Amino acid sequence: MRRRVLLPMALVAAATALFVFAAPEAVSAYLKLGTRLQGRMATLRWSTFPIRYFVTNEGSAGVPATEFQAAVTRAFNTWNGVATANTSSQFAGFTQARPLADDGMVVIGYATRPDLERTLAATNFLIDVTDGRIVESDIFFNTIFPWSTSSAGETGRFDVESIALHEIGHLQGLGHSALGETEVRPGGRRVLGAEAVMFPIAFTAGSTADRRLRPDDIAGITDIYPRNNAESRRLGSISGKVTKNGTGVMGAHIVAFNTATSALVGGFTVNESGEFTIAGLEPGPHVLRVEPLDDGDIESFFDRSVTVDLSFGVRFHDRVVVVPRGGGTRDVEIKVSPK
Amino acid sequence: MRRPGVVAAACALALAAASSASAQIAARREGPRAGSWEAGGGVVWSGSFTGPRRTAELTENGESSGGFDLFTAIGEISSGAGLGVTLGYYLSRSLAVEAGLRFSKPRLSFRLTGDIEDAGAITADETLTRYVFTGSLVFHLRDTSQGRRLIPFVSGGAGYIRDLHEGAELVETGTEYHVTGGIKYWLGRGARRFGLRGEAGVSITDGGFEFRDGTRTLPVAAGSVVYVF
Repeated sequence: MRRRVLLPMALVAAATALFVFAAPEAVSAYLKLGTRLQGRMATLRWSTFPIRYFVTNEGSAGVPATEFQAAVTRAFNTWNGVATANTSSQFAGFTQARPLADDGMVVIGYATRPDLERTLAATNFLIDVTDGRIVESDIFFNTIFPWSTSSAGETGRFDVESIALHEIGHLQGLGHSALGETEVRPGGRRVLGAEAVMFPIAFTAGSTADRRLRPDDIAGITDIYPRNNAESRRLGSISGKVTKNGTGVMGAHIVAFNTATSALVGGFTVNESGEFTIAGLEPGPHVLRVEPLDDGDIESFFDRSVTVDLSFGVRFHDRVVVVPRGGGTRDVEIKVSPK
Repeated sequence: MRRPGVVAAACALALAAASSASAQIAARREGPRAGSWEAGGGVVWSGSFTGPRRTAELTENGESSGGFDLFTAIGEISSGAGLGVTLGYYLSRSLAVEAGLRFSKPRLSFRLTGDIEDAGAITADETLTRYVFTGSLVFHLRDTSQGRRLIPFVSGGAGYIRDLHEGAELVETGTEYHVTGGIKYWLGRGARRFGLRGEAGVSITDGGFEFRDGTRTLPVAAGSVVYVF
């Protein structure tokens, strides 16, 4: 999974042969990375913790390896600090190994990839094809871009910690979130606003806004690795379907807005029946908004084999949906109209 | 010489008897006494409450520290009528303790507007089921009573709120305080009698369903039929 500075209309090819595209799980609480195993969809996930990661002992212009490692460790710690999720990591040391090599190690470092001129960083996986377990995952940061680890950010340079936080989300099995708005500009798209670190397009160089996880990110990681504690058990979910003229809508983006906290958590319909589940939600009333994906950005979310319905209008659900403590509200049907 | 004495004694007894009968009639006319019970049931009304404006906001890209708004939501709990029952016990002619239950089904709605992608404005709603269990002290202002049938009173107390959202899968609880004033109008005579009760005041709630932390003050009113026994 790659983080891009500006999204081109036509994506470049996958980075490596090891790359596993995001494929939606049958009914996903969040867009998780998945792969088809023996005819069923399995979520990519780590089966053992801590994740032991190495950092390449080679810096880039402006960011030596030690500062790079410190920024990456802070990003890991941010994910590990999610109270409702159960993840952990451990810095195993510096290495001469390069990311993207099939060596059984989790390696994070720089790579020079001029062929990926719109890719800031990318994550790849090696998975066990019998159960979807992640065996290895590497992250590379593209040295064709200027990088910074300055605490306040540095104009014109991308923040290592922010981008690391996004890529580590992928490394742990999260797909992209669609909680953001973009505008088309010559050469690609620019983010106007986003409310998820896992949004596929990065903020402008110099921004450090993505050093902080949002409710959407927290809901996603909690869904994959729920911690067995009171705080996690109180969370609930909303599930239902999106229909158009009585038929399920594939690939619709649903946003649950918590009317008490203003938290936004997104989800997708992930099958032909238009079914969705949004999990990791705080109990209480929510309003739902459904929209089609941006037509220029589908492959950031779904495999090319999936036919995503884009021909319907944005709308709100006309009922307040209440999330129970530790349970789920089911059978919510949101009817959209053809565009 | 003994007759006048007998007559005088008889008059005194007669006066005493008359005085006692008069006092009993007066007491009956004035309504409940210490030890009386009063049961009531009727209609309650509570005012509406508007929540703060909530914005579904994205973190804006760029130098600005402001947000990028997706849409806004303004919540409201509608005003509405419900049912109420009370059971009181008179500690004295003026002071009673009272337990009560109010039941209502207000509408919780959110007006959704200003969508960045022009989703049509809409009001999303659900129905709350609210129970308020109350305990009150009721003080009757008998000195200002008009004709002894119409008795003003003031009441104050606290309660426990239990709000059930639609589907009854989420319960939110809280505390309620209330101060009301009103009148009771007693019908008929006798130790057991019906009356009408009307009151209005304020209810201060903390908890239950709320748009934000803190207390809120709502106008309340009630009208009921009461029976004293």
